[in-house]
Parts: sequence; C-alpha cells; structure tokens
Amino acid sequence: MNRMTPADLATFAKTPASAGLNWVRVSLDTGGIAAGADTVCAIFEKEAGTVGFPLEVRRVGSLGYSWADPLVEVARDGMPKVVYGQVGDDDAHRILQDHFGRRRLLDDHVLASRARSLEAPGSTAYILVKDTSADKGDKTQFFQFSLAEELKRCNLQDKVQVVRAFDMGIYDEGVTVQFLPSRVTYTNVLAPDVARIVKTTIQGKKLLDDLLYKKPDKQLRVVLRNCGRFDPESLQDCLRHGVYQGLARVLGSLKPEEVIAELKTSGLRGRGGAGFPTWLKWQITRAVERSPKYIICNGDEGDPGAYMDRSVLEGDPHSVLEGLIIAAYAIGAQRGYFYIRAEYPLAVRRVEKAVAEARAAGLLGENILGSGFSFDAKVRLGAGAFVCGEETALIASIEGKRGSPSPRPPYPSVRGLFGQPTAINNVETLAAVPEILVRGGAWYASFGAEKSRGTKVFAVTGKVRNPQLVEVPLGVTLRDIVFDLCGGVFGGKPIKAVQTGGPSGGVIPEHLLHTPVSYESLQELGSIMGSGGMIVMDQDDSMVEVSRFYLRFCVDESCGKCAPCRIGGYQMLQILNRVARGRGEKGDLDRVRAISKAMQKASLCGLGQTAPNPVLSALRYFEPEFKAYLEGGVSYARKMSAGRPAEPAPAAEPANA
Amino acid sequence: MPSDTSATELPSQISTWKDDDAALLESLEQIEQKHGFIPRQVAEEISRVLEVKLARLRQLQVKVESNVRKEVDALVEKWKGEEGNLILILHEIENQHGYVPREIAMEVSHALGVNLARIYEVLTFYHYFKLKPPGRHNMALCMGTACYLKGAPAMLAEAKALLKVEEGTTTADREWHLDVVRCIGCCGMSPAMVVDGKTYGRLTVTDVPRLIAKATPTKAVS
Repeated sequence: MNRMTPADLATFAKTPASAGLNWVRVSLDTGGIAAGADTVCAIFEKEAGTVGFPLEVRRVGSLGYSWADPLVEVARDGMPKVVYGQVGDDDAHRILQDHFGRRRLLDDHVLASRARSLEAPGSTAYILVKDTSADKGDKTQFFQFSLAEELKRCNLQDKVQVVRAFDMGIYDEGVTVQFLPSRVTYTNVLAPDVARIVKTTIQGKKLLDDLLYKKPDKQLRVVLRNCGRFDPESLQDCLRHGVYQGLARVLGSLKPEEVIAELKTSGLRGRGGAGFPTWLKWQITRAVERSPKYIICNGDEGDPGAYMDRSVLEGDPHSVLEGLIIAAYAIGAQRGYFYIRAEYPLAVRRVEKAVAEARAAGLLGENILGSGFSFDAKVRLGAGAFVCGEETALIASIEGKRGSPSPRPPYPSVRGLFGQPTAINNVETLAAVPEILVRGGAWYASFGAEKSRGTKVFAVTGKVRNPQLVEVPLGVTLRDIVFDLCGGVFGGKPIKAVQTGGPSGGVIPEHLLHTPVSYESLQELGSIMGSGGMIVMDQDDSMVEVSRFYLRFCVDESCGKCAPCRIGGYQMLQILNRVARGRGEKGDLDRVRAISKAMQKASLCGLGQTAPNPVLSALRYFEPEFKAYLEGGVSYARKMSAGRPAEPAPAAEPANA
Repeated sequence: MPSDTSATELPSQISTWKDDDAALLESLEQIEQKHGFIPRQVAEEISRVLEVKLARLRQLQVKVESNVRKEVDALVEKWKGEEGNLILILHEIENQHGYVPREIAMEVSHALGVNLARIYEVLTFYHYFKLKPPGRHNMALCMGTACYLKGAPAMLAEAKALLKVEEGTTTADREWHLDVVRCIGCCGMSPAMVVDGKTYGRLTVTDVPRLIAKATPTKAVS
C-alpha cells in the first residue's frame, strides 16, 4: 500500500464498508477456531459460489459470545442481519441452502439482537421464540407451534416464519419473543397472549405495552467496538470502519498536551488492574527530559480466566496499534513495543501483520501522515511467566533478561526500558484511547461510576451459563453481569461467589453481589478489579480448594527474588495443604493471616503483595469452611474430597475396560 | 546363530555384524562364556571395527555441529543490533526444535558472547522454554481457573492414567508429552486442552481417550 495522507484516511472512512449486500462473517479467534470455526469458514468459502448471487465471506474477530462459538453473522439482501451460534459443518450447509437460498432462518442457532427496539414494529418477517425461564420446563417448542398455528389461521404463514432461537440475551423472563426486522421484544409471554400478539403486533403493527421488554441493554461496547465487525488482517477493511481516525485527529490538530488533557477529561484509568490514571502516567513520562523514550503495550495476559486482551489483539489489532501511536505522540516516545504472551500465537501473528501493514502504509515509521512525528513499534514475545505482567519484570524481559521485578521507585516513567523513561499501558487501555479522541473525553466520562469512568471488559467464566466477554459501564453490579448478561449459574445451582482479579484478587460472596463494580468498591471488599477475569463459583466449589489453587499458582510463579513472597507463599501453601488434608492445627488460620500481612507489606512487587488476597478474602467470607476442616479432621477432609466432582476419581478407569 | 563359534571364525562374523551392535555384543558374550576370556584376535578385530565406527560418528558430529553453528549464526545475524535479543533467539530455537538443546545453547553463548549460565538463567526462568525434547505428540491441558473448576483435574488424572506419565514428562517411547499449562485463553470453552497444536474445548473426561486415540490411531489405548 502506498503511504497514506490524512485525506486518504478520510476518504476510506467515508467509503461504504462492505460493497456487497450479501455476506457471511465468521468469527475466527482462538476460541472460535478451537470450536471448529475454521472448517465452517472453509465450507462457506468453498460453496459461496453455489448460491447464485455474489456472496462475500469475511474472516473477522470474535463478537465475545464465547459459549456460542463458532459464531457466524449473516446478511442477506432484504433480510435482517442474524448472528448464528454453535454453527457446525452441517449448519453451514443449511445456512447456505435455507438462509441464502430460501430466506428461511435456522431453528436453534439464532442469537437474538441485544439492540432491542421500543418503537412500534413495522411489518414482521420473522419471530424468534425462546423459553428463558429458570425451571427446566421448556415451552419453546409449544410456543413455536401455537404461534405458527395462529399465523396459519390468519393466513400469514408464508409471510412470517417462527424460529426457535438459541439465545435471547434475556434470562429468567419466561417465554420471550423477538420480532424481526423490528427487534421489538416481548417477555413473559403466556399461551393466551398468542392470539393478541398476532392480531395487534403482526397484523396491527402496534406494541403490546404490558409484554414489551423495556430494560435497555447493559452492555456498551467501546473497547470491543470493532471486534467481529471486520477482518483484522486487512488494513483497508479497518480503515473503512474508521480505525486511525483518532490518530488523524491527534496528528492533524492536537498538541501532545491537548491529548493528555483529553485523556484527563475522559477519566480513563489503567485497565490492567491497578487503575492508575492514564493521563497522569503519560504526563509524568512526558515531563522527564531525557530521550529516547519508550512506550510499551502490555499484552502479557497471564491471569488465568481472563482473555479480553487476546480477543482485542486478535479482533482489532489496528486499534491497539493506533492507541500505542497516540500514546507515543503524547509522551514523546520514538520507539514502542508490544509485549504479547507466546501462548497467544494468533494474536502475535495478527499484531505483527498489523504493524507491518501500518508501516507500509506510512501510519508507522518516519513522518507519520506527513506530520513530522516519527515512531516505530516492534513485537516482543513473553515466554510464560506470570510475573512479567508486572511493569519492571516486563521491562527486564524485553531487555532479554529473566523477568525479575525491581524495586520502585524509580518508576519506569523515570527509569524504565534500557534505563530510559517508559510508559506501559494495557491492551484494553490503549484500545479505548482512539475512540476517546474521536468522540471526546467528555463522552467517555459520561458513563461509569464516580471515580471509575468509562467501560470495562470482563471475561465471565467458570460455572456460568453463558461464558462470554461483556463490556459494561463501570458501576453496574456483579449481579447484573452474572445474571442479566450471562444467564446466571450453569445448571441452575445456587451461586456461591464470584472471583475477580485472578490470583491477585479475591472472592466476593453471594450477599455482596449487589456491589457496583469499580476499582474502589472491589478493593473495599478485599478483591481487586484486576484485568477483568470474573469467575463464577457455585455451591459445589470449596473455598479451601479455590484458595489453594490460587496460592499454588502464585507460589509456582514467584520469581524468588524477595523473601516474603518466596518463603511466605510456600509456607502458607504448606499450611493450607495441611488444613485441606484435615491435619490442620489450632492457630493455623491466624498464622495464615500473619504471613499474609508480612507478604502484603514487604514483598517487592505486586505479585507478592497481592498473592495472599484470594486466601484472605476466602477467610473473610467463608471462614466456617476452613474451620470445618480444622474441626472435622481427616475423616471430614476425605469426605469432602470424595464428594467433589472436580477431583480425580480414586483410580481412573481404563476407557474400554 | 552358529552354536560352535570358534575363536578363529569370529573375526569375519564380527565384520559382518559391525553395524549391528546388539548382535556383536551377544556373540562377544557367548565367546566370553565359552573361553572365559576374549581372544586377542577377536579383540583386535573389534577395535578395528570400532575405529571405523568412531571415525564415522565423528564425521557426523562435525557435520551436525557445523550445522548448529550455521543455524545459530544465522539467528544471531538476524537479531544483531536488536537490544535484548537473547529471548528472541531462544524463541526461534524453541519453535524450531521444540526445546533448547544444550549444544545449541552453548553455541548461542559463543556467538553472543554471553555466559552460558546467563542463558540458562533465562531458560529456566520462563515456562515456555523446555530443556528436554518433546514427545512426538504433545498434550497441554489447561489448568486455568475456569478449566480447573469445570473438571480439568479429573481430565488430568485420566490423561496421566492412560498415557502412564506424570505431568511435565514424556513417555518412555517419546510418543507422548503431557503438560499442564496456565491458561490458553479459551476460558469461554473450558475445560480446554491443546493436542499437537490444535485447541479443543468443552471437553469431558471421556474425550481424553478419544483425543489420544485420534492422535495415535495405530496404538490401541487401553
């Protein structure tokens, strides 16, 4: 590609994104590929020619609905856009035949749109039906049948198709229907309502106010704005969707100080977990009068249970790069690095490709967009060390050394990579930056909680019905996230706790789930925001086991440089192991608390300081569980380990014996 | 094998067996049993055979070493001038070989002028770098929190029992290597594992023998 000018960028952004009216977008991220999206994509690519009209097949990033992988979004001229989930190879063929060939939607695969309408519906072509009630009685089939019968009675069966949906994005609201293309949604529909739905809403095109679902969607996609919308491996596609518009504005009309001021207005704080104000970090780095300066994108997402950085890097690498360039401009850096986990080969490949393409297009390198500003970025791979997510350890790793943290101060903003001033920002932070500069800091600050502005992506996993990525304004409650957005607990069991912040965070018990999520509120509860992993635990999960799991993780990952972390973690693990075997001693829990305090106060880096958090919070909310082990002794411990389904059976049976 | 092997007809046999070490050793033992010692004639013949063999092996070694040197030199050349290039070079070696062989680490130490101890300091720190060769097939079970809660420990026990290895080790026949990894970022499809570079998700214990059988169809898994 030739070197771009600001005018080129503007032209691209105005060009209609997709030329064709008929297209298929296949979500090809690591999760999707693991579920078989690559073979599905191959089928579409091979057989797109058989439908008889031009059909574009596009490879895109993930929409975030991980439980429904492989995901396919489909557009057919004159039909509403539809997302299909759990698309197998056969379903791909059926989409080509039924959806494209006969304009009929597939049963049991449609994910209903979350952008629900409250306006009076126009004419309806499709009705999605799904029973979302918590009890097992599934009335979906029955309602599909009775709606279809009613339509037949009114002689509408050829105009309206009733489709069993896969997911409505609404849970525990009885039978739910959504009308397409209007996206009007009714909940708690009962059998007697069928007749009036057909009469009023389909024939009369009017709303039934008592059934209308009015709650707005709690999700708000800023960081994930582009994921799943276009091909992350095509710069042209990205440009057509407005990527690099923030950079164009910055280089065209803003001074570095103005960029920092805009960030200050936005209130954006580090999304890696600590929540340090991004503008402040940039300003401090900018104020140091030494060059060269460096900017690093921290993509070392080591926290088990979090995968939003992977999704963003795989689905929208150009926006992260754009954020990195803007950050470099703001602090006056000439060189930058992406530090990405080697365990994410697809993310590494896509970022490397994005960097190369941007460089070829003059968006990176000398004299970017003719502004006189020069900056280049490189990709560095992590090598499987959790501690390298810590700033100083990450710097050591890029320098080619073992990733041991060093004492702060001096902070990296003064003395960082190769001894030079360095700013380190998380993937998610950088991905939000371009959008803030396009739409203004005030826009971003308009949602969120008091001190935690904007949105945050959470990876909700564990014992949850629909594990997925959600992006919500800060300040929504944990209950909203787990129940309203993700459908509650898998298998309908009672929820016990939600773990946030991974090995540095803690558990939040059921009775505190009404807490609005913000940096401060989670800290008060003894947990942290962390990178945004959110793990749902049900009544079967033993808190003693969970705290041992996290502690073992931290002990394995401790770099061994400072004594509190190296020795303290190991001692604590020994004590907890003893407790879990039923051989705990009196005073063990106090000993754990004492060691925790020492680790929190005296450890060199965040890993050691936060390693006791999972244990302490488990002790804080679930102390009786620990005490039961102490009092119950060995027999109790045996009973518990036998009763847990997650633990290996005593002797694994040979498969075909 | 002739039963009445005499000392005089052995040398000729030895030269025919020179490529078969096991047969050579076996006949030597027979001779020792018969005579109580190894006759000088035989010993001389064997040392001649060994000389030839050693010379051949040395040639092989020189070839491999020069190859290693070339490979390392190319890598060092590629990343020359890049600050902190050690990890990048080690990454490429790991990706090519599946582990970092000691000879190559030594060669890197030469080429970069970095102490071998410093290289091993880095190698042993990061989980990604392995010091032992991997198996022909590799299974990496994810033990991230989501997978852990959803039954990864049971899957690990099943894999251990079926493959008869401990985590982090390779079967005696180098056929399978079993690893437990931190988090492969597929928490949405937990429990997950990677077999020979392909990720599988939403697994149950019964999928473990299926995946093993799929990778090694000829070997019946019992």
